[in-house]
Amino acid sequence: MKTILQKAPGQWTVIFTALTWVLVYLLTRWLLDNDQLPEGLRIVVALAPMVPFAFFLAFMLAGIRSMDELHRRIQLEALAIAFPLAILFFMLLGLLELAIPLSPEDWSYRHTWSYLPLFYFLGLAIASRRYQ
Amino acid sequence: MKNRLRDLRAERGWSQADLAEKLDVSRQTVNAIETEKYDPSLPLAFKIAELFGMKIEDIFMANHKK
Repeated sequence: MKTILQKAPGQWTVIFTALTWVLVYLLTRWLLDNDQLPEGLRIVVALAPMVPFAFFLAFMLAGIRSMDELHRRIQLEALAIAFPLAILFFMLLGLLELAIPLSPEDWSYRHTWSYLPLFYFLGLAIASRRYQ
Repeated sequence: MKNRLRDLRAERGWSQADLAEKLDVSRQTVNAIETEKYDPSLPLAFKIAELFGMKIEDIFMANHKK
């Protein structure tokens, strides 16, 4: 892995690994939704997206490290927006869960995690705009 | 922080992209410094000063008046 990442990955490498992660996730969802797999295997399948995600994370970090100082700052500000939003989102979701019945078909972790990348992209858009 | 980067670059007939390439940063970074939306780090400020053959304080000026 270290050898691969000695050279900064291009944007398309990061996007490709992100797409691979999403595809593996979708395949995992399909397998868990449709197949009658034994429990042990279901756990292995459920954890499978960790592998492409590890590559995605490694390439993304290498990409950020290769950025110039302004773009690293933009990334930091994007996360500084996204992380508190994620805290707020889960806090409010927890409180709403107490206030009203929330359907697990709509609001379980398997759906709500997908909001977190949106917070990051929102943060990235706000931070990028500031320095244009 | 105020700076004279735009003037110095224009004197040499360089585009923002030219300067960005010489400093090994993005054009957006050069633009953000020129428009005073972003203050460069000390290493980058030294690099800019070295490129123009000047002292840092001749390129970058604090906003406050003494």
